[in-house]
Amino acid sequence: MKAEISFILNGSEVNVTIDGHLRLIDILRNTMSLTGTKEGCGEGECGACTVIVDGRAVNSCLYPAHEIEGKSVTTIEGLRMPEHKLSEIQQAFVDNGAIQCGFCTPGMIMSAKALLDSNPNPSDEEIRDALQGNLCRCTGYVQIVEAVKSVAGQIMGKK
Amino acid sequence: MRRFDYLRPKSLKEALQLKKTIAGAKYISGGTDLIVQIKNRELQPTTLISLRSIPELARIEINGGARIGALATISDLIQHIELGHNYPVLIAAAKRLGSLQIRNVATTGGNLCNCSPSADMALPLLVLEAKVRLQSAKASREIPLSEFFKGPGKSCLSSDEIMTDILLEPPSQKTKATFLKKGRVKMDLAIASLALLVEIEGGRCRKARIAAGSVASMPLRLFDVEALLEGSTISKDSVSKAQQLARDTVSPITDLRATEEYRRHVVGVYMKRGLEKVFG
Repeated sequence: MKAEISFILNGSEVNVTIDGHLRLIDILRNTMSLTGTKEGCGEGECGACTVIVDGRAVNSCLYPAHEIEGKSVTTIEGLRMPEHKLSEIQQAFVDNGAIQCGFCTPGMIMSAKALLDSNPNPSDEEIRDALQGNLCRCTGYVQIVEAVKSVAGQIMGKK
Repeated sequence: MRRFDYLRPKSLKEALQLKKTIAGAKYISGGTDLIVQIKNRELQPTTLISLRSIPELARIEINGGARIGALATISDLIQHIELGHNYPVLIAAAKRLGSLQIRNVATTGGNLCNCSPSADMALPLLVLEAKVRLQSAKASREIPLSEFFKGPGKSCLSSDEIMTDILLEPPSQKTKATFLKKGRVKMDLAIASLALLVEIEGGRCRKARIAAGSVASMPLRLFDVEALLEGSTISKDSVSKAQQLARDTVSPITDLRATEEYRRHVVGVYMKRGLEKVFG
């Protein structure tokens, strides 16, 4: 049984007709061709599939696609700036060496963005707590935390 | 994933009606456990009936006590200032449940209805002596949470019922409570966990409520340990007796996360640590 749903995807309204068993990540990657969002474990452990739904970071691999009706979704593609520039948080990951293979990076950045949007100046503990659900198997988390901190600092500096 | 239909009723009445008419249908709330079970083919529903579009099920009301809609997410609980003020032990456990992404979607009622022996929300709710309201098309019943669990994945919720609310008595100024959880990392399922609520008067324990997780086939109230502590003065001797009895009362298993012996040991340590914490 198919149903049509409409939602806001990276700022634009979209309508899709979907089957009941599909998950949000299936719609993003297969229907919308937004392959920045990755599927790692598919069980809500690794966070590679993290996207922001109505301001909250969620695992898109566990999110029934039908539930997205009327909601607003931001994916890593939604962070794109004019003229192919990187957003502040993306640039901070590059500058701090917070990326190795890159598979966890989109999810990691979406978790960081959800945190910074609601708490522009988080403590180390708050950063680590917000990123707890994002696994990186290449390296440690020090550079990643540093990257998030550097953006928090920049935002603070602008005030 | 196997195909299934997905329905989003807008009212409780409609949700109850749909379940009766569709063979092989199952209710879904947050889905953070359910979707994994479907992926692993432990469950093969024909239809999922979502409870997420029924607004009254997600409401949190403070009315002297509290009424927590079963669909309130773990993050909803954490962000509710009054709830945290009145029942800090509930929020302490909520903060230890899974990752932020899971807490943003997983629901309080879902955590209970999944009936995992490690259910984090079960422990503070057991020591707070919460009741749960179960609604069918015909009737509504309220039962103590301590009577809800029947085994791993099993509860007294019948297939035509929906858990609608979790009900809490008004908070007592005289009680102190704490929640302790052992995991390899913070977001893990508990290797063992313990919630403790006591009322102390003049160095004497007037009331004790203790619950343990991941150490039996279901989240467990330790009634015998409660009885041992109640009326006794808190001393090295009584704490040590409570530790021993707690270790003997639980019936953990060995699995990939920990051994039976280790889980028993942790319960004993947490018994002591918990009592030290609440007695200052």
